[in-house]
Amino acid sequence: MLDMILSQAVNGLVLGFLYVLIAVGLSIIFGMLGIVNFAHGAFFAIGAYLALVLTQQFGWGAALLAPLLTGLIGMVVEMVLIRRLYDKEPLISLILTFALALLVEAVLRLVFGGAPQPFSPPKPLAGFVEWGAILITTYRVAVLCVTIAALVAFWAFLAYTPFGRIIRAGSRDPEMVGLLGINLPIVLSGVFGIGCLLAGLAGMLAGPLWTVSPAIGAAAIMPAFVIVTIGGLGSYRGAIVAGLMVGLVTALTVQFYPDWSGVAMYVLMAVVLIARPRGLFGEKWERFE
Amino acid sequence: MGDETSPRSGAFAINRRNLLLGATAGAVAMPWVGRAHAAEPIRIGMLYGKTGPIVGQSEHLAQGSFLALEQRGGTLLGRPTEIVWLDEPNPQGAQQNAERLVGEHKVAGLVGGALSSHAFAISAVAKKAKVPFIATNAAADALTGASCNRYTFRTQAPVEVQARVLAPQAAAIGKKWYLLTAAYAFGQDIKRFFGQYAKEIGGTIVGADDVPVGTQDFSSFILKIRAAKPDVIIGGIAGSDLMGFLKQWSELGMRGRIPFAEIAVGNTDLWGVGPEAADGLYTSTWYYKNPANPPDEQAMTAAYEKKYNRPPADKAWMGWFGMNILLDSIEAAGSTDPTAVVNALERWQTRRGGTREISFRPFDHQLTSTVVVLGVKPKITDKWDFFDVKAEVPKTEAEADALYGPETASACKMDSI
Repeated sequence: MLDMILSQAVNGLVLGFLYVLIAVGLSIIFGMLGIVNFAHGAFFAIGAYLALVLTQQFGWGAALLAPLLTGLIGMVVEMVLIRRLYDKEPLISLILTFALALLVEAVLRLVFGGAPQPFSPPKPLAGFVEWGAILITTYRVAVLCVTIAALVAFWAFLAYTPFGRIIRAGSRDPEMVGLLGINLPIVLSGVFGIGCLLAGLAGMLAGPLWTVSPAIGAAAIMPAFVIVTIGGLGSYRGAIVAGLMVGLVTALTVQFYPDWSGVAMYVLMAVVLIARPRGLFGEKWERFE
Repeated sequence: MGDETSPRSGAFAINRRNLLLGATAGAVAMPWVGRAHAAEPIRIGMLYGKTGPIVGQSEHLAQGSFLALEQRGGTLLGRPTEIVWLDEPNPQGAQQNAERLVGEHKVAGLVGGALSSHAFAISAVAKKAKVPFIATNAAADALTGASCNRYTFRTQAPVEVQARVLAPQAAAIGKKWYLLTAAYAFGQDIKRFFGQYAKEIGGTIVGADDVPVGTQDFSSFILKIRAAKPDVIIGGIAGSDLMGFLKQWSELGMRGRIPFAEIAVGNTDLWGVGPEAADGLYTSTWYYKNPANPPDEQAMTAAYEKKYNRPPADKAWMGWFGMNILLDSIEAAGSTDPTAVVNALERWQTRRGGTREISFRPFDHQLTSTVVVLGVKPKITDKWDFFDVKAEVPKTEAEADALYGPETASACKMDSI
């Protein structure tokens, strides 16, 4: 039994890291822009479909462009749509981003049809590895490595680059950042683009793992919201810890109470919120009080 | 999603000239007004999901349905006919849209119910509104069992019938089974039947998991199955869930190591998995490469391929077949009067699977159609042709009675019109 628990735990970690990647983008968009982006799952779906099309046309190497293109699409959406919401009621942004999510899903259905698309991992990563009781596909190991590398790179970007410092400062006091002469609209477009890039990267990685269909974004958005809520809105560290917790809890619930696996993360969220209403690492942010 | 109608509807758009002509005709001779009314299009209500987990199958069901009407030149009883297609996002949405089709669009009949839970909701509306309903894709037993009604007719073989076909084939491979079933009616019916059947043949259930609908990651379930070492996995998961499972099953190197068997699985599910990961033994209602298909179905295959540049999936045929039955019955009834159409449906019959006449059983409105057993080819070379036809049953009346069960075993208490 210990073997099975260990095996499920490793599996849960891979799932958790993928969730983290989706949730971090959602978290920074909320932290910096104050927008609860219901369309985040749609950018995840765009990333998956772009990776699919690029792979079919030019091979797997080209799929690496999918996250960048998703980020660019995100920046355009911010300039055209999201920018108009910053001084509006939070409810307006909820409705608008929700509508955007439905629109993207409908467009994907129109272009690609409703049927799921076959999308396999690249040939060199098609096998699996066994370490004792642990069984994991080579592709999942690759996803784990890419996700960790992306999270470390993003952390270094936030901590050590001037743009990263502006993002962190802007997330706490955007007015002051503006008064210091920094062109805030460009920064905000960049942040939204980065959030979408991370969602696109997660979509690209999840495409061969899951089933690429127009509704793939809906499957990703709920765990992402749960993770952001458990970790604390806007907290990078919180998103990582909560993502891993959700992955582990889901995998271990499958082992012991499979019919509860769909609700396990919501129970976890309820428990965390009862103990810590702001989430695990949630702080009091003056601008959102 | 907006309403969608067949292209014929555009031909009857009212313009100013038509309006003027109509008014003039009415003024000159009042009796002509009655005839003008007779040219009103006949509307058929269709409910297949445009959103939700079943959308991959719905697209094919709808295409087959539209083709059935097109092959008749878009007319019935000499009147233009159109299909009004509404979404069925969930059972409640299915019910509301069925009510809209009856109330707003005044449809002559309903076709649809891509999921059993949706079909139950539509069936309840059909009963209340007294409108015939053909359930084409619902497999839950109760639809023509305890929840049957005079207005609901089912073309798909229910879970228990398909399970009776598949269970001996699975038992021939081995008697240690692992049940992986969805946490709703379809999966639970499969779980109950195979659990009972295993007991009867002295088999063992080495594991049984209920899978939440919409599960994306099956690796944890696969690890459990691998540890339990069953002879066969009996599946009871549908649509994108099944695709996700088979894909991850193959990636974890399990393809071909433990056979996977499931009832009521179609081409679309396996096409979405792709030839590298497709695996298993299935029952289905139809296969386009089955040499026993009658001539009209071969003609339908050719017409569909010409229109959509791919062969029809079993779901396209199910949509086509169900729609044709309703259209045939309206023609046979000579009117769109619901009672006349229901009576015509009860008399409707056709010949499939050899010499046997198939029809709806009067006591539960279940069609006693044939079921094909399909095995995934060891090597897939054609991107559409994934299966070998292993068997098609029932061949005789006696076989049909044994498979579908006698009237005395039916839980249906058929009401009167």
